[in-house]
Amino acid sequence: MTVWQRLKPLRIRLWTLLVILGPGLITASADNDAPGIATYSMAGSTYGYRFLWVILAITIGEIIFMEMAGRMGAVTGKGAADLIREHFGVRVTVLAMVCLLIANSGTTIGEFAGVAAGTELFGLSRYISVPLAALLVGLLVIQGSYRHVEKVLLALSLAALSYIITAFIEHPNWGEVLRQAMTPTWQGGTDYLLTLLAVVGTTITPWGIVYMQASVADKGVRLDEYQYTRLDVVTGSAWGNVVSAFIVICTAATLFAAGIRVETAEQAAMALEPLAGVWAKGLFAVGLLAASLLAASVLPLSTAYAVSEAFGWERGLDHPVREARLFYSLYIGMIVLSVAVVLIPGAPLFPLMWLSQSVNAILLPVLLILVLKLANNRRLMGRWTNSRLQNGLAWVLTGLIILTTVFLFASPLVS
Amino acid sequence: MPYLSDLLGKPVADMDGERVGHLEDLIASLRGRVPHPEIVALVVKRPGGTLLVPFSDVAALIAPAIPLTRRLQDIVPYKPEEHGLYLAQDVLDKQILDTNGVRVVRVNDLELVRVNGHFYVANVDVGGLGLLRRLGLARIAQWLAARFGRQLRSNIIPWDDVELLPGDQPMRLRVPSDKIAELHPADLAEIISDLSRSESSRLLESLDVKTVADALEEVEPDFQASLVEAMSDEKVADVLEEMAPDEAADLLAELPQDRSQELLKLMEHEEAEDVRRLLAYPEDTAGGIMTTEFIAIPPDLTAEQAIAVLRQQAEVAETIFYVYVTDSEGRLIGVFSVNDLVLAQPQMPVTKFMQRRVISVGLFDSQDKVAQIVAKYNLLAVPVVDNEGRLHGIVTVDDALDKIIPTKWKKRLPRLYH
Repeated sequence: MTVWQRLKPLRIRLWTLLVILGPGLITASADNDAPGIATYSMAGSTYGYRFLWVILAITIGEIIFMEMAGRMGAVTGKGAADLIREHFGVRVTVLAMVCLLIANSGTTIGEFAGVAAGTELFGLSRYISVPLAALLVGLLVIQGSYRHVEKVLLALSLAALSYIITAFIEHPNWGEVLRQAMTPTWQGGTDYLLTLLAVVGTTITPWGIVYMQASVADKGVRLDEYQYTRLDVVTGSAWGNVVSAFIVICTAATLFAAGIRVETAEQAAMALEPLAGVWAKGLFAVGLLAASLLAASVLPLSTAYAVSEAFGWERGLDHPVREARLFYSLYIGMIVLSVAVVLIPGAPLFPLMWLSQSVNAILLPVLLILVLKLANNRRLMGRWTNSRLQNGLAWVLTGLIILTTVFLFASPLVS
Repeated sequence: MPYLSDLLGKPVADMDGERVGHLEDLIASLRGRVPHPEIVALVVKRPGGTLLVPFSDVAALIAPAIPLTRRLQDIVPYKPEEHGLYLAQDVLDKQILDTNGVRVVRVNDLELVRVNGHFYVANVDVGGLGLLRRLGLARIAQWLAARFGRQLRSNIIPWDDVELLPGDQPMRLRVPSDKIAELHPADLAEIISDLSRSESSRLLESLDVKTVADALEEVEPDFQASLVEAMSDEKVADVLEEMAPDEAADLLAELPQDRSQELLKLMEHEEAEDVRRLLAYPEDTAGGIMTTEFIAIPPDLTAEQAIAVLRQQAEVAETIFYVYVTDSEGRLIGVFSVNDLVLAQPQMPVTKFMQRRVISVGLFDSQDKVAQIVAKYNLLAVPVVDNEGRLHGIVTVDDALDKIIPTKWKKRLPRLYH
């Protein structure tokens, strides 16, 4: 059966446009967590439309790697950490897991910084809100009642869609937007390179890849039905980046045009003023808060899971703490560390959010290379190995990320 | 004793000291008389391929460079047998079952032992020390620990307690041994919930119908449903027949409508009928959790005859502790326990010693109410009757209490988006 035939009975049921767009939009807005919103706001307000082409290019990259991860999950039924351990041995696994831990801890710090920034916009001190959020997240997840809250958070994260509306209200020069999205530009300098890496690292995340593979493996997708999963993955990734692009367009049209380079959440919220006026702050804060809490619920847990899986430690919330000490230590440790960093007096929240994403990108190639090697392993994947085009594009992307990192570290030396 | 990780990568030299290559893997045979795998060949990586060297050509395994007893050109390559186990490829870094500790662990290293010139796999290292050894940090870690007055102990499992998971690739590993089948169904269920989906379905696929049915009865219906998703309809139908009708009905209720109908068609008529009847009641009512496999006898029997009936039906009944007495219309008129029966004179009619005031619940009574009644009257099972007092089934204490103390099982991953 082709995808289209399969959709036919569905088509009858799709009686409003909303039903088609609904799930995609939710995924898309939840995709843009606090570090994501911070990164795109910063990029848009500082460089105008100049990062649009990066988003376009990185969308292709994200689709390629997310599809690869999903396919590996479907074919092998195993998580990425599991496969890395079984095929590359202990040393490589330690390297990969250290990278994953650092990257994911960084992002979790970014998420809690998002909580802090979001609540401070409402005038609530981070010293109250962040520990409270950590407690809430930890309890909800361990207790298993997270599912009830999840829907509320997902609905609230729809606030990110206001960027799309605001962008249209602002009447940007769409010709210019399109032109810049199609023309790759490049410049040197530490600031630009860090921003570039952050945009890459918040779009293709190590944890996104690991999570994608784990959830497809967990769902147990049958291979003859894999094409629907592929469709899911591709549209999901694309949608998320549509919202990302609009954050850039919106902040470019408002803040960049006004000469404001975003350095705080308050400034970032100003991008929504054309739509929400005095309510802009509230709208921005709600979106930031919901997206942060969503990601903070899943990120530390999936990381603890992956690392425990790689080293064969007892894992899972159905085990009591005394049986799975290392698993729980990792989980709680990541949350505690994030809270501690965010609560350091005077910790700059906004830079924490987006700089953590630059770190993500710097560590990303380790995982990308391993995933690429696994996805091309014939013994593992059978006839489901990568196509040539996919490999070519994936290697080019990986190479470019490494090159950017090299430039970043070399640029202070040169100048 | 040597560890596999110490040996891998070592250079191999022939009798003239000529370098042959380096050790890539060890092949062990499971066919010897000893239950431990015996090393039968070396896999030597050479430029442009591998050479399988029979273990009989190896002068010494524990040496800085492994010496052979022949010249390179004289070596007759080992022919791999069907059940050969490639230790590095098939076992190292893989997940295995510790059947003694009932858990899934990862192999960090393998300890070999030498007996009469032969090498066997003795133990499996699953601890942190094994990990550190692989990283080359074991010595430093031990020294550090000693400085703090502690000792790092290795966490090893004897090979006897180990069960390999049915592997993804080699057919030769797909021989589930009795070790798994001998586990308590509840333990097997726990292991299954620790495995990834594909591993658990492969494991279930390799087990016989009875073992699968017993294990499935120990887990929550939604998890049961996810486990049988990948199984063939024929096997699932067989498993369902083997399960108690109430458990089978619970499982079917979790599956998509068309698949459960399909499965009911494949099942033996009689079992399918029982299950169909149960499916008609809402899940959380007495009717939904009862089983139809109880023992009922007519009132005109003697104790001796009742015992004969009991012997005959004990096999299929869920519990034989209570025997129910029904009239010709199927109405419940009495009950007695096996105790009463054994103590009664053989010729005594059952109506003489049966309890006439029977505690029972209605078909549509809530599960909560059933649990309360079972707890209040200290019953092992409670009969379920309809408005006319006809006996339809019984709810055993474990099914009644499941509502209050659910078997622990949570989804492995929290879902982010859907």
